[in-house]
Formats: sequence, C-alpha cells, structure tokens
Amino acid sequence: MRIHGSEASPSIPGRQFTASLISRRDLIRTALLAGASAACGPALSLAQTAIPETTPAQRGVDDSKLLADSNWKPTFLSKGQNETLIALSDVIIPATDTPGAKEALVNRYLDLVLAGEPAESQQKFVDGLNYIDTESQRLFGKEFHLLTPEDQNDLLQPLAYPLRPSFWLNKDHPDPGVEHFGRLKSMIAVAYYTSEIGQRELGWDGSFTHGPYQGCEHPTTTHK
Amino acid sequence: MPQDVLQQTYDVIVVGSGATGGWAAKRLAEAGLKVALLEAGRAVSPKEFTEHMPAYKLKYRGHSPEIERTRPVQKQCYACMEYNYEWFVNDLENPYSTPADRPFSWQRLRIVGGRSLVWGRQSYRLSDTDFKAASRDGYGDDWPFSYADLAPYYDIVERYVGITGAAEKNEMLPDGQFLPPMQMTCGEVRLRERVKAKFDRTLTIGRAAIVTQTHNGRAACHYCGPCERGCSTFSYFSSPFTTVKDAVKSGNCTLITNAVVSHVDMDSDANKARGVTYVDRMTKETKEVRGKAVILCAQALESTRILLNSSTREYPNGLANSSGVLGHYLMDHVAGGGASGTFDDLNILPSANPPHRPNGIYMVRFRNTPSSGKHPHFIRGYGFQGGSAPEFNMEATGIGAEYKKAVKLGRYGISLGAFGESLASWDNFCEIDQNLKDAWGIPALRISMAHGKNEAAMMRDAGVTAAEMLEAAGAKNIRVQTSYGIPGMAVHEVGTARMGNDPKKFVLNAFNQAHDVNNLFVTDGSCYVSSACQNPTLTMMAITVRACDRLIDRFHRSDV
Repeated sequence: MRIHGSEASPSIPGRQFTASLISRRDLIRTALLAGASAACGPALSLAQTAIPETTPAQRGVDDSKLLADSNWKPTFLSKGQNETLIALSDVIIPATDTPGAKEALVNRYLDLVLAGEPAESQQKFVDGLNYIDTESQRLFGKEFHLLTPEDQNDLLQPLAYPLRPSFWLNKDHPDPGVEHFGRLKSMIAVAYYTSEIGQRELGWDGSFTHGPYQGCEHPTTTHK
Repeated sequence: MPQDVLQQTYDVIVVGSGATGGWAAKRLAEAGLKVALLEAGRAVSPKEFTEHMPAYKLKYRGHSPEIERTRPVQKQCYACMEYNYEWFVNDLENPYSTPADRPFSWQRLRIVGGRSLVWGRQSYRLSDTDFKAASRDGYGDDWPFSYADLAPYYDIVERYVGITGAAEKNEMLPDGQFLPPMQMTCGEVRLRERVKAKFDRTLTIGRAAIVTQTHNGRAACHYCGPCERGCSTFSYFSSPFTTVKDAVKSGNCTLITNAVVSHVDMDSDANKARGVTYVDRMTKETKEVRGKAVILCAQALESTRILLNSSTREYPNGLANSSGVLGHYLMDHVAGGGASGTFDDLNILPSANPPHRPNGIYMVRFRNTPSSGKHPHFIRGYGFQGGSAPEFNMEATGIGAEYKKAVKLGRYGISLGAFGESLASWDNFCEIDQNLKDAWGIPALRISMAHGKNEAAMMRDAGVTAAEMLEAAGAKNIRVQTSYGIPGMAVHEVGTARMGNDPKKFVLNAFNQAHDVNNLFVTDGSCYVSSACQNPTLTMMAITVRACDRLIDRFHRSDV
C-alpha cells in the first residue's frame, strides 16, 4: 500500500524523488491497498513446494499471526518504551466502533521493523518516545502510559494541532515536540493501516476483484 | 541437461528471454528455425505469484531487512518488494561500479521473462518526429528507418501482446491496434477536458500491455492491481507465458536456463560468430553453445557487456566495435518533474476495495512538436504520466476518532510526472571495469552517466506546465517538483550499440545486424539512436520482430 512519505529512504537520491512525487508507478501502486482474497489462502499454502530462490511470500508463507504470539516480548524496545508506545498509539488511533492501534498490535509490528532499521532511525524513534515521557513527567509527574486518558489527550493536543508559523513564533526553531510527534504518528499510522484490522477499518471486504473499473459517468463538465 | 542440447548447432542462439528475447525466439522458431534460448536465471512458475496476498501476511509488510542486505540497488526499483525481491538480481553477486559523482541505478532481473515480469506495461509508439529528430533540430543522429518502416511491426506486436488504449489521432503519438480502453476517473476526465480547452493538449488513458478482453487465450484483467507480483490470469504481458511459451511449443526452441553468457565465440577466419560461451549459474561450469547466428536480447547494458567481453585479436576493443562507439551514447529517460494537487470539490470517497485500475493517464508530448515550434530553453520533449483518484489520507491532522474519520474521508489527488527525452551523448557510457568481476568470474561494468542541462531545463519546464494545467483544472494544494532521479531510475536504459547506416559511426545496421559481423545481432534497447520520451519496450519488441523477419529471409536465401 502507498502511504505518503513512508517510503522515503534518505540514503538514496532516487528513492527520495519517487517518494516525494506521485509518479505513474506510484499511481499503479495505489492499487495495492488491499489486494487480497481469503479464498486464495489455501491455494497459496499448497504452493509451499520448494521452488528455490523464492521469497517467503512466493512460497505461500503466511506470517499474519506472527505478532499475536502469546510469548511475545519486545526485541528492540525496552519494556518502558513499549508501554509508552502502546499508550501513545491507542490515543492516536483508539478503538471506536472499530478496533484501535492497541488491538492491531501496532507496538509489536514497530518493534519488529525497528529492530532491522539503521541505528540513526532507531535513535530518532526512541528520542520521540523519550520526549513524550519527559513531557508527561514535567506536566503530570508520571510516565505517559500511567496518565488518565484525559491527561494523555491534553498532552498530545498541542502537538497534534500545531499552530501555523506566525510573527510571534520563531520559525527558525520548529517545535521539537511537533516533529517528534509527527514522526511517531506517521509510523503508527502505517503500522495500523497495513494491519488486517486497519485494512478492515478502511472498508476492505476481503475481495481482490469486483470487475472492471467503470470510470466517470458524469455528463461533461459536471464532475462532482 | 542431455548432452545433445549442447552438441548440435542451432540456427540461431538468442541470449535473454525477456520482452525482446521472447519475441526473437517465437518469431524464429515458428518460422521453422532451430533456436536455443539462453536465460541467465531460473524458470518462473505461476505458483510464485503473490498478487492476491495482502501485505499483512508478510512478516515486514513490504520492507524486509533481507532486501536491504542483498539488494541495496534493486530496492530502488518501485517493483522490488518483500513479495518478489528474489526475482531481482542479488547485488552482492552482480556488482557494477560508477564514478562517485555519476551514480547509476541498474535495476534488473535474471529469471525467465526478465523485467517483463515486473514492467510498468506502458506501451507507446514513436513517431517520425522521434525517428527524424536530428534532422529537425540538428542534434545527434536520425534513426536509419522511418515510422512507416516500423509501423507494420508495431501492428504485429500489438495484435499479439494486447494493448489497451484509446485512439487520439495525435501526430506525436501514433495510434495502434488497441483493445478497449480502461476508463478514466472523474478527476482525469476533468483534467482532459480543461487542458484540451485551454492548452489544446491531449490527455489520454494509459496505453498498457494488459488485455481488457479475452485475447489470444489470456483472460481479461480482473483489476486486482499489483501486476508486478504476477498475474494468475496472465492478463498483463510477460514473455514466459506468451512468446517464450509459444517458442517452446513450436518444437523448434530449446530453452536453456541458468546460462550466464560471458561472451560470443568467433570463428576469426570466417569473421563469423560461431556461438556463445556461458557459465552454468548453479555449477559454475563453462559451456559452449554453437549456432549459425547469434542475437543478443540481454538488456542494453548486459548485451553491451557481453560484446565488450568478447574481444578478439581482430576486435581488441570489444566485438563488433570497429567504430569505437560500443558502450557510448547510453540514455535513460529523465523522470521526476511534475506537480501534484487535490480536487477538493470532488466529493467521492476512497475505497479499499477493487477494482484497482493497473494503469494511469498519459499526456502526449507538446513541446518542440511540428505545430508548437521551438522551445527557447531545450530541445526535444517530455510526456506526463499520472492519475487522479480519491485516496486515503494518512497525513490528516489530529488524533483519535477524528483522525480515523479524516483518514477515511481522504482526499481526491491528482498528479502528473514527466518522462523526458535523454539526449544521446558520447560522455554517457559503460565500459569493462578491469578490477571487478561478478560471482561467475565475468568482468563487470563500470557505468558513467549523468543527465545534462537539456534534461534539467526540461524537468523545470515540466514542473511549471504540470502546475498550470492542474490549476486550469481547478486543483488546490498544488506542489511543484522540478528535480529528477538519477540515471537508471526510469529503467529505460538504451543506446549503447546504436544503429545507423555508417559503419564508422554505428555498431548495428538498420536491421540490427552488427556492421562488423554479419551473423551477429542485437535487438534490445542497445540499438536505440535517440531515446524519444515514450516508454521503450513496445518499440524494442517491434524492432526485434523486424530484424528477425529479415534474418528469416536470409536463412531462406541460405545467406547466413
């Protein structure tokens, strides 16, 4: 699936350009959002014959239950960081009439991904979590995950709805809290919306085809 | 492998089983010639297709550390992902070098079908404005044939491949043999109407190698979306399930997989190619296949590498390189300039459900055309590819239930990204790196290319024109991009064994035969004289069929 900005890899010039502008290829990729079929599952698992030099996916490996392991423990995050992340993710994407980030195991997916990231990206993430906890201690004298939902919300509101730069703000010094929060939020959003829960939240019905695209049916010049 | 496979002398050896190699094998084998089709990689099976597997079934949902480790170059390709990265070459086994200040991204597959398994499928004809570009603006060289010479072969290829598209009667982009077009979204129709009215420019639905109705035994596209992961109905064109299959079915084509060709073998006395030598990818044994003619279809840089590695006493600087131009004039479309925005007044919600149209829109080149006159800052031109559709908005502000709602409400996006002509230049080239070998001991390439001032001016213009067209269509939040990717990122590399009538200036003649060796041919993108701005695969396939028909004719006259 394509999520704006989530694919940027600063070390490769070409990658930046593909991530920063929707090219024709990205447009083709927008199609990737939920291209799946439950009916296809069994057929794919039969394909687990040993074709050499294939990816796990090409061998039909289904890792969707990996994160739900009852003995799961974080491999990258500390216990405290994990608690902060669970709480933070669930304030950003709470359970409503659909499940939220906590149930989608957003923390576990991010722990897995972070474990394989370069040290610099890992540090940025940890710095973000530390910022949230430091603010929590400063304002409420407790770690973030121990706050009431109201206090958690109070802490995050200014970061989630930042003021636009104005005469009264020093634009040369962007608010570090807003930057930390923005980075954490975009990673949490990716983790949530790529999960099965997230895909269902977006309305995916489990099918991979509903026939051809019918296109615009409006009379000329009245496209609304 | 039975020993007789290597003991017989084939009529033709075809190196590479991708878009062009598949066509060469099919055309020649169906004409009754005995063909050996060599592929450096393994066979591919529909059992490996993953187009219907949701990302949450992948351990990393797309970004495996294994890709980082083994494919640091290949991962730059949009199509290389956790689903299918094993189709792409392992960069650790397939090194190449570049000067530090001239990076090049060489994205490739070694598997039956090659890049046709993952290609973007966009298929556009070139016009005489492209074939005779040098005569119009004085830069570079014309092609040694005109549109009329190639048109019948475009027809043959399109009728077989199946190209969805709409006829537009635009002189810059000749119409072809189209299957029914895919439909445009509201945003795209709006853009098409407004830019026609205000600028008289033509926006059309993408012309793509995807069948929209049952065609040559392949079912119509079912609109699942991610073609580059395979297609259970073979609706997009890839060679293993079409041309290569036909070639083998004819009974006249022997497909030899895991054959990493190192060089062409010459009979120096007769000045003829007598076959090729390859290294078995698995056992690393060296073997030779003999043929009366050799066609290289290994991809522009690979075919050039094979020729450079085939030096003899008579051809000390690379086989068929008496002109000295082999490896030079490397081109790859410059891509990136453009603009994106939103249509805030189109109240249509995004959907996670199919249909997902695996195709975009195309804006026909409008700069430096016979009717537009000369642009003051650059020669040649660019086309736009893009699309417009409602999309989920993960970048929505806020938190909580409000954020979840805003994501689903989405935004109606519109974007145009240019692919511009890359000028042929002697200074953009590849050569053998004497200090670098691949995992099979074959000397590797050093690639040296950079986009120039003309390409930069073109991308700047593309940013401006895209923005003004989006604005004319009523888009908001317009963002302009004038920067562009490094060479290789368009994955349209061509030009390193250029064709032309003068043996002193060109490697190949007008029918893709090496001027120096009359039973040696190159029909992949190497033969390009100028890059035009259209995606090259369709033209390469048509050129291959044309060259093969000439070769078949020579066999009939016993002139090989």
